[in-house]
Amino acid sequence: MLLKIYLKEIKDCFRDRRTLLLTVLLPVIMMTGLTFFYEKMVSDGEEESYKLAVNNAVAQDADAIFAGFKNIEIVKTANPEKVLKKGEAQAALMMDADFNQKIAGGEKVDVKIVGDSFSQKSSNLMSFVQNAFAAYEKSIISERLQTNGTNPELVEPFHIVQNEVSGENNNASLLAMLIPLILAIAIGVGAGPAAADLFAGEKEKKTMEALLMTPVNRSTLLVAKWLTITTVGAVTGMVTLLVVALEITFLTENLKKSISFGDNASLVVTIAVLISIIYAMFTASLLMLTSVVGKTVKEAQSYSTPVMMLAMFPAMILSSVGINELSFKHFAIPIMNLFSLLKELVFGVIDYEHILITIASNLICMIVLFIIGRILFMKDKWVMN
Amino acid sequence: MIEIQGVTKQFKDKNKYVTALKHVSFSVKEGQVVGLLGENGAGKTTLLRTIATLLTPTDGAVSVAGYDTIKNPNEVKKKIGVLFGGETGLYDRLTARENLEYFSGLYGLSKHETKVRIDDLSKMFGMRDYLNRKVSGFSKGMRQKVAIARTLIHNPDIILFDEPTTGLDITSSNVFRQLVHQLKRDGKTIIFSSHIMEEVSMLCDSVAMMHKGELVYQGDLETLYKSEGSRDLNYIFMSKLVRGNEHYAS
Repeated sequence: MLLKIYLKEIKDCFRDRRTLLLTVLLPVIMMTGLTFFYEKMVSDGEEESYKLAVNNAVAQDADAIFAGFKNIEIVKTANPEKVLKKGEAQAALMMDADFNQKIAGGEKVDVKIVGDSFSQKSSNLMSFVQNAFAAYEKSIISERLQTNGTNPELVEPFHIVQNEVSGENNNASLLAMLIPLILAIAIGVGAGPAAADLFAGEKEKKTMEALLMTPVNRSTLLVAKWLTITTVGAVTGMVTLLVVALEITFLTENLKKSISFGDNASLVVTIAVLISIIYAMFTASLLMLTSVVGKTVKEAQSYSTPVMMLAMFPAMILSSVGINELSFKHFAIPIMNLFSLLKELVFGVIDYEHILITIASNLICMIVLFIIGRILFMKDKWVMN
Repeated sequence: MIEIQGVTKQFKDKNKYVTALKHVSFSVKEGQVVGLLGENGAGKTTLLRTIATLLTPTDGAVSVAGYDTIKNPNEVKKKIGVLFGGETGLYDRLTARENLEYFSGLYGLSKHETKVRIDDLSKMFGMRDYLNRKVSGFSKGMRQKVAIARTLIHNPDIILFDEPTTGLDITSSNVFRQLVHQLKRDGKTIIFSSHIMEEVSMLCDSVAMMHKGELVYQGDLETLYKSEGSRDLNYIFMSKLVRGNEHYAS
């Protein structure tokens, strides 16, 4: 009987254009948009071209300083700030007309960079300009020291090398935040309409009464509907993972470089799929409750929206936590543990103890939610309007 | 066939209890067609839902075909077919056939039995042309026919209709009336609630009148006509309500 109800619910759900749209199309669009956004964010900006407005008087000096930066185009103008404000350049460089003469004379010279820190492009250009001047400054100091007969290495007593504890670059951290967040949102958004339709929707359409009039156990109905919500959520999760994997592999350069699972690739993918299914089950339990309590689809959706917002908090909390800092609590709290475990997986870390803690905590929560759901579903008040 | 003994049903509304049924008792014999009359909020739907095991009485007992509705709800459900008014309770994204097959499966009918029942019912209601079409595109009359077919899919002995002709056009209402005649000939026991007195006097052997959760009359129609000195059910119903209100006022 359970299978009969489940198969009917699945057929009914996937005939709904809204469900199809949210389970397949939405993850594709969301993932494509976010993948490209993050790809652009993690790129060092070298392949992009920038326009730097410079006063006509110092154009030659500027050409010499930025000779090594092929992606910086010098815009010669009488008023660099005006050109910047018009949007014809991403930054403006202001320096004295006799810049090189003053440097040669050993005078201190002011250099002013004007730009917009809120613009990614302007911000990148300002960093390039600073880097260029830093290199130029270093070469002048070196020249001056050599002229005085001093070894330039004397003013550089040590060289700092910064390495990541995970052995990967910072881009992996962005992915470790991006993938679980998208996965959590996609599963919630994908399973939400199905959940609202299966309980609140049936009450609204009065099919629930017809269903309750059949000699089918209410617990069987509850389990079949929960399984349906889980399936829709899990399918959305799978599609999301598949889309993100394909897009990172074939459409990105920097994000692709960030991930390298080596021999563990198939195991990491299997665990990610398992975690997605567990999270879909947990989400289905939550959504089932909001739908049982809701009298109409609209009401159920109003209840489920704040529940889905819960996924945002772990993303924010874990964004500043390194994988070596993840402890028991990060794997014992549902939703948080999805983010923690996927963060580890992105860095290629497979810790079976953490996986077991995650599964156990989700199962315990699901059982509690299921018991509450069953109690509500057995009461007339919650099954009929 | 149906025994209702001292049934009281209370609902909790915020911090107070609302009594929807007050010590209602009556019985329905096998093969009888009973019309349930009452204003909106009189307790008709609550009574039908209680008989159908959807609601548990606060006090009293209901027995259907010898089975107690609280102790043996599943046995009762096998014997009963229910159609609640206003909404047809069909799955829009499924075809009429898929709707019928689904409910047939839930009532435990085999594939062969399901096929035979669907053939019979689609012939009875003239549904063959649209049996394989999705319900979402159906007119109200078509939906009502499929909903009635779903109610009868497991060939129940007792059928409860809650305002079945609400919102139906004349043709669809006539189809329903013909169906009740047919079911009566087949020996089915029927209770249906209605606001349409002509329909009740045309189809029913007896009536049960409800007012503010209480049963104010139950008996066969001919006895009622004689005792009231009129064959106008509309007039009789209104005078019963006036007497009921006077009873409450005193």
